[in-house]
Amino acid sequence: MNLSKNIALICKLPSHLTKVRPAVIVQTRFYPRPTSFPDYFQNPVFRKEDQATLVESNELSRIATVPVKPPTVAETSSVYYDPLVNKVINHVMKMGNKKLARSLVEKAFENIKRTQIERYHLAKTPEEKAKIELNPRDILHKAVENSKPLLQLLPIKRGGITYQVPGPITEKRSLFMAIKWLLEATNDKERTVHFPEQFAWELLDAANNTGKVVKRKQDLHRLCEANRAYAHYRWQ
Amino acid sequence: MLSRNIRYACRRYSHAVTFRTTESSPTQQTDNQFGLFYTVNKDLCKQLYGHGGLPKSYMKQSKTFAETAIMVRRPALDIINCIKATDLNKPAIRYVLYGEDGTGKSMTIAHLLHYAFEEGYLIVHVPWVSDWLRRVLRHKEMANSLTREGLVDLPLDAAAWLLHFKTQNQHLLKSPEFIVSKEYVWSKREKTEAGAPLHELVELGIARVKYACDVVDAIVNEVKLLSNSKKCKTFVAVDGYNGFFNPLTRLKTPTKKKVAPEEVTLTTSILELTKNDWTNAVMVLSADSIANPDDDTKNYLPQHLLYRKGFDHLDPFVPVKVDRYTDREFLTCANYYRDRLWIRGPLDMETELKLTSACNPFKFMEQCAPL
Repeated sequence: MNLSKNIALICKLPSHLTKVRPAVIVQTRFYPRPTSFPDYFQNPVFRKEDQATLVESNELSRIATVPVKPPTVAETSSVYYDPLVNKVINHVMKMGNKKLARSLVEKAFENIKRTQIERYHLAKTPEEKAKIELNPRDILHKAVENSKPLLQLLPIKRGGITYQVPGPITEKRSLFMAIKWLLEATNDKERTVHFPEQFAWELLDAANNTGKVVKRKQDLHRLCEANRAYAHYRWQ
Repeated sequence: MLSRNIRYACRRYSHAVTFRTTESSPTQQTDNQFGLFYTVNKDLCKQLYGHGGLPKSYMKQSKTFAETAIMVRRPALDIINCIKATDLNKPAIRYVLYGEDGTGKSMTIAHLLHYAFEEGYLIVHVPWVSDWLRRVLRHKEMANSLTREGLVDLPLDAAAWLLHFKTQNQHLLKSPEFIVSKEYVWSKREKTEAGAPLHELVELGIARVKYACDVVDAIVNEVKLLSNSKKCKTFVAVDGYNGFFNPLTRLKTPTKKKVAPEEVTLTTSILELTKNDWTNAVMVLSADSIANPDDDTKNYLPQHLLYRKGFDHLDPFVPVKVDRYTDREFLTCANYYRDRLWIRGPLDMETELKLTSACNPFKFMEQCAPL
C-alpha cells in the first residue's frame, strides 16, 4: 500500500528530516453551496513557494490568462500559514465562527509549547533535550500522522447479511478520520476541563504514539485483520 | 548579489546582538543597559511581587522561562534619574505613567519597585486598585465603617494589603526607629500605645481583620509623619490609580446601594497618601485604561482617564509616557524569546511579528505564544 510505505519511510528517517511536511493537503476548497464562480475558475496560488515553482516550471504564462477565485481570509502568504493547521481549525469551527475556533487551537498550541518548554528545562542531559519536540505545529503533524488509519471497514450486504469488509482507505479519508478522532477524543472530557487543555494533551499523546486516538486506530486495524476472511466480498 | 550578502551579514550580526545584562541592580543601571534584560533574584521576587505586582500573563511567562527577567526601558531609566536628582526635602513629586494597553506600565512600576527596594525606601505599593473596587467575588467581605460615618470597609482586602506591606518591608520594619506616634484605641480592651513599634500595628491589622481598614489609615498617617521627620524615605506606587476616580465601583451594600469609590475607606487612605503635603517621598502612579472599563474610547491620556477630580487631586504631576518597543528593544526582546525557545524558525518571523504586533510588547508576547 502506498500510504504504509510512506509511513514506513518517515519512521526510518532521522528526526530532522521528518520535519519536511508531507504535501498531503492540496490547496483546494470545496464550496458547500453553489458559488458565483463558474467551473473554469482556478483555485488561487497564494504561497510564495508555490508561485516560485510555477515560475520555474514556466507554467505561470499558462495560468496568467485563466480566471482565478479569490483566496479566503485565512489563506495568506504568512510565514505561519500551514494548510493542516487551517484544516484542523476548520474542523473545530462551529457555525462559521472561525475566530473562536482559531483562538482555541492557538491556545492549545500555547499549552503544548509551555509543557514542552518546561519539560525541556527539566531534562538534564543534552540528548534528552534534543529528543523533546518544541514546535507545536510539528507535534500536530506528528499526531495526525500517527492517528491516520491505514484500512477501513465497509458494510457490504451479501446474501441478506451485512459484512464489515476491510479495504484500503484513501489518503483524504484517512486524514479526515484522524482529525475527527482527535476532536472526538478531545470532546470526551470532564465539563470543567477546557477544550484547549484537553486538545493539547490529546495531541501530545498522539504525537507520542500513545493515548485514546492511537488505540482507536489500532483497534480498527485489529478488526480489519480479524475480518480479512470477508475481504473478497469487495469484488465478488 | 553584494547587497544580498550585506543584508545577510547584517541579519547574522543582528541575531547575535546581546539581549542580557549582568547588572542586576537597578541603582547601577545606566543608558548602557538600555533595552537589555536583567534577571531578578528569585527570593527577592517572592518578597517584592509575591502578593501581586507583576501582571498575570507575565507571571505565567516567567514560570515557563524559569526566570524573572525585566527589560530596562526608557521610562524607568528616566524616572530613576529624576529620583536621583531630586531634593527630597521638597514636597513629594508624583510621576504618572500613561500609555496604550500592554506597553508596560505595570512592568515599569515593578522595575521601579526593585530600584526603591535597593535604595532602601519604605515601599507602599498597591498592586492593582481595581482588585479592591471592581473585582467582586461571590463573597466580597464588606462592612460599614465603625469609625467613619457613611463609609464602607473592605476588611479582607485591607488585611491582604497589610500582609503585602509587611512582606515588602520586612527588613525595614524591624528597625527601632519605626514607632507609632500616638495612641490608637481600637476597642475597650485593644489599643496600640504611643511608642509601640510600627510592625506591631501591622500585625494587629492582619490578626484583627475587623480593624484592618482603620489600621491602613493609621499606617498612612504614621508613614507620612515618619517621612516628614526624616526617619525614612518613602516610595509610593499605585497601579491603576485612575480606578479611584471612576463614577462608581462594582460594589453594592447589603441594601443594594451602589458604592462610589470615595465612599470606600481604603480609597480615602490612599488618596490622603498621594497628596503632596509631605516630604521625603516619591510617588509613581499609573493611569490605565483597563482600570476604566466602562469607557471604550481607547483614550489613554491622563486627563481623560483621571477625570477632572483626579487631575485636580494630582496637579502638579510629571507625566511619563510608556511607549511601544523601539526597533532596538524589539530586536532584543525577540532575541530573548529565541534564547528562551519561545520563538524558533526563520528570521523572517520577526519582521512579520513586528508588523502584526505593531511593536506592542503585550501583543508581541501574545502572538508569539502559539508559534
